[in-house]
Amino acid sequence: MFACIHGPDAGRLADSFSPFVELVDEQTAVFSITARQLARLKGTQAAVASAAETAILAARNLPGYTFIAPGDEARVLGALLIDALPPDPEIFETFDLWGIRSLADLARLPDDALASRLGARGLHLQRLARGAIARPLRPQLPATVYAESIELDYALKLREPLLFLIARFLNDLTARLKSQSLAASAIDLTLDSNQRRLSLPFPTRDVKLLLKRIEHSLEHQPPEAPVTKLRLELIPTEPRRVQHGLFTPAAPEPEKLELTLGKIRGLVGEKNVGYPELFDTHRPGAARPTGPLLPFRYFRPALEARITADRLGTRRFQGRILRIAGPWRSSGEWWRSDLWNRDEYDLELSDGALYRIYLDRLSDKWFVEGVYD
Amino acid sequence: MAAALPLPLGWRHAEPLDFLSAAGRDFPRGRISEITGVRSSGRTSVLHALLAVSTGRGEHAALVDTNDAFDPRSAASGGVELSKLVWVRCGGNAEHALRAADLLIQAGGFGVVALDLAEVAAGALNRIPATAWFRFRRAVESTPVILAVLADHPLAKSCSSMTIKLPPRKARFTGCAPFLLLRNAV
Repeated sequence: MFACIHGPDAGRLADSFSPFVELVDEQTAVFSITARQLARLKGTQAAVASAAETAILAARNLPGYTFIAPGDEARVLGALLIDALPPDPEIFETFDLWGIRSLADLARLPDDALASRLGARGLHLQRLARGAIARPLRPQLPATVYAESIELDYALKLREPLLFLIARFLNDLTARLKSQSLAASAIDLTLDSNQRRLSLPFPTRDVKLLLKRIEHSLEHQPPEAPVTKLRLELIPTEPRRVQHGLFTPAAPEPEKLELTLGKIRGLVGEKNVGYPELFDTHRPGAARPTGPLLPFRYFRPALEARITADRLGTRRFQGRILRIAGPWRSSGEWWRSDLWNRDEYDLELSDGALYRIYLDRLSDKWFVEGVYD
Repeated sequence: MAAALPLPLGWRHAEPLDFLSAAGRDFPRGRISEITGVRSSGRTSVLHALLAVSTGRGEHAALVDTNDAFDPRSAASGGVELSKLVWVRCGGNAEHALRAADLLIQAGGFGVVALDLAEVAAGALNRIPATAWFRFRRAVESTPVILAVLADHPLAKSCSSMTIKLPPRKARFTGCAPFLLLRNAV
């Protein structure tokens, strides 16, 4: 049996009956009820029925406590006006034209004729009126936290024993994820008060990969002091599903690639490894190309240059200017601190190379941005 | 898997590639290929073309950019699929670049691993031991990877199976001074 409580305090009241409560709206709560609990509902604005939807309809529209015995749904609900059903202006207008005023009137209509005229929505309303809709309860459950923690009696100074503990946690947590058909999208690792989040490029529950990811992180960013408290949490998500094609060229294995990129990030820094991306902007160097461009190599950062009438010099090279084309003025994003405002030139130097130089109009300095190649 | 990766003749910046096709050269897989030349000789054009062909076939490619010189904008305009290109910036550290290239080759699955050592200081290049190139040769020889090394002058010596030395090119401007427009280099 299902019970529905309707009123300003419905959620809290329903929680006192069952841990599995479906909150239909702020004032309506449905839950499964046993025969021994029925007496406690008396005196409240509530209804008990064999189906959740019937209980909701009765609790919202009938005064006081209502008990609907199985098989008696159509009779009890039949007294309600048609407006008690979930609003559907178009269908309600048709009901009005047909002279349907109560749920009993609607329940009496033949199924096939109603379906052919009003479709699935009309049929659904009729089944509601008859109390014939049975559905499972949809309780709002708190999200499961996949976490393990430990407080040690002694401080761990070395990485190996720490990883041994972490591996044990990972085995347990991934087994729990597997039992729910879930995978991890990120790792939250807390060592004493130092917390770090390790993102994963794809959802996984591969213990070896997760352990390697943590090992790389500990290698590059070791804990500042010996560890006495450890907490590990896996952030759950839907697992990855991949359909491989027969004729698709081989790509790096995601697990292996992530481990490789993790090692390279340790060498060159987190921000120096990735896939290049262009943006919807006019910012030099970051904008999407709108036409063919000559292949270009940057000097990063741009080389400050000394320019005279026919010579250009930087700390790396110098030469005589043979030909120069420009200027092309560009500026933008004046509302940001990293705005730009510059005049660009293409020039041929006596060393035979083609450079792009610019005058930064904000600092009034010349720079060599790179070379066409 | 084809034994070599031919470059397209109708590519937009075709001049350095015409030079290649005249020599009848394709990039051999499982080998080291070197692209060398001075500034503006077209070495980056050849590298972009190689990456464009590889990523255009659906392969994944990697670029180890020692001096942080890669321009994604001109590469994208040349047909390189940036979503299939792993870009590693090494901040001028040649040692890190060699280590990163080694790791990428070991990971497998890439069609092209490009190692850009152009404009790297001569002192840093001299510190690369010859054994490093032998190790690279051995690492790629049983794989379909093309290890393309971009440099000012040949570095891998006998370990490389193809060395492309690009001659200097002449800039082509249109218009009359002072209203010139850089068109290309031929």
